[in-house]
Amino acid sequence: MATIQQPAAHTVRRGVQPLRAGEGNSYVWHKLHSLLGIIPIGAFLIEHLISNFQALGGPVAYGKTVEFLNSLPMVHVLEWVFIFIPILYHGIYGLYIWLRGKSNVVYYPWSGNWLYLTQRYTGIIAFAFIIQHVIMERFMGVSLHDHPGAAFYKMQQTLANPWMVAIYVIGMLAACWHFSYGVWLFAAKWGITPGTRSRRRFGFVCVAGGVLLAVLGLGSIWAFVGPKYANAPQNVPISYLNAPAHTGAPV
Amino acid sequence: MADKTVQLEIKRQASPEAPEMWEKFELAWRPGMNVISAMMEIAANPVTAEGHQTTPIAYDSNCLEEICGSCAMRINGRARMACSSLVENLEQPIRVEPLSKFPLVRDLQVDRSVLFENLKAVKAWVPVDGTYDLGSGPRVFPQQQEANYPLSNCISCTCCMEVCPQFNPATGFVGAATIAQVKLFNNHPTGKVFKEERLRALAGDGGIQECGYAQNCVEACPKQIPLTNAISDIGRDVMVQKVKDWLRG
Ligand code: SF4
Ligand code: SF4
Ligand code: FES
Repeated sequence: MATIQQPAAHTVRRGVQPLRAGEGNSYVWHKLHSLLGIIPIGAFLIEHLISNFQALGGPVAYGKTVEFLNSLPMVHVLEWVFIFIPILYHGIYGLYIWLRGKSNVVYYPWSGNWLYLTQRYTGIIAFAFIIQHVIMERFMGVSLHDHPGAAFYKMQQTLANPWMVAIYVIGMLAACWHFSYGVWLFAAKWGITPGTRSRRRFGFVCVAGGVLLAVLGLGSIWAFVGPKYANAPQNVPISYLNAPAHTGAPV
Repeated sequence: MADKTVQLEIKRQASPEAPEMWEKFELAWRPGMNVISAMMEIAANPVTAEGHQTTPIAYDSNCLEEICGSCAMRINGRARMACSSLVENLEQPIRVEPLSKFPLVRDLQVDRSVLFENLKAVKAWVPVDGTYDLGSGPRVFPQQQEANYPLSNCISCTCCMEVCPQFNPATGFVGAATIAQVKLFNNHPTGKVFKEERLRALAGDGGIQECGYAQNCVEACPKQIPLTNAISDIGRDVMVQKVKDWLRG
């Protein structure tokens, strides 16, 4: 048949290009994106949710946590190098990855394919949430670096708006989902779980971890909106924060 | 029995530049009919359901037993092998389209040479050519054979690439089949000689890093090749190779 006699080499290839064997640097940029998602971003997410969980102990306990974090050496350098820049890179490169993929769950509604899509949506939701969260709470309003005791009240004011509560719950859950499935993906793609069974088992671990993180996050949101500390002070004086053990009752 | 029929809707395009159109066909049902045999019947009597004379449908096929890999197409939206798609298992009308990610040649024929190019790019072969007799090859233990056999089943149908969300012109992703073949040939005691080159090749643009682990490939593969396991294993090997190369300078 005529198909065999096609011209051997097209000068301009149509369709998907063949592998550019060994060329370019996209491998490094991709792997950096993947690694940063775990360390430091994932590690920071865990730390952040645990720290925030201290809010359940009240304004003084929360203020102490904030004060401790502020006391870390070169805290401003740390937050740029280990938090802001990695998150910006991960988010922006992640968007670039998303734009180049072509989801097809309509034709292939398989669970892995759904998770692939969900990873993109939870990523953008978490990224948008984190940007607004950092701008509002870190760069605007009372400086928590100078006034750690004001942390509880500041968050409480933000969450006084029910819309903000909804945004926080959605953004926080998206971040937990994105991180837990991200850990699973990391293990699968870096060859840590190369077997079908190991991936399944690790899947349970990631679900459990994700649920735990989500519970921590929801618990801390509850601390700010619940009735227990409804009359939290605007600022807990430094002397209170430095006092050894304190019940946390408002002054 | 005689009145039982099969309805097909086939997407047609006379050439890459020609407009696409759908044609409907109605055939007498026969036991054990598959999509290729249905199209053979259309070729014998190329008349549409409306009674218009048309041309036989162009498609690739050869073995008719899901072993040559040539008849992949989209049937009811899903990439699969036409010869093993039994009509009685398909919802009617059966909608048949060419694969969407490869340049169209005509009707259901597409140009899948990108897979061949990719296999060449990773040297997916065992180098034994020489000017003298190399003697018998090294022994392959049965355990190793068992591990490699599933990978050797690849029929180059490109279903895994068609269904992959990452395989598209923007990424130029190499696709799961080539990654699985890298694992196969890296496991081979003689094929191993190119191991490092293959791994470095897969770290190039469009390489293994583009995989988003949606796992569609493994769902779609007609030969049940453990593609996600291969992606995971080779992902680790590529990483180790890159780190070694970097440390060696
Ligand atoms: S796991 Fe998903 S992204 Fe990776 S090759 Fe398979 S289908 Fe494509
Ligand atoms: S790996 Fe499976 S789906 Fe992909 S080309 Fe080979 S046989 Fe086809
Ligand atoms: S004709 Fe060979 S696989 Fe279908």
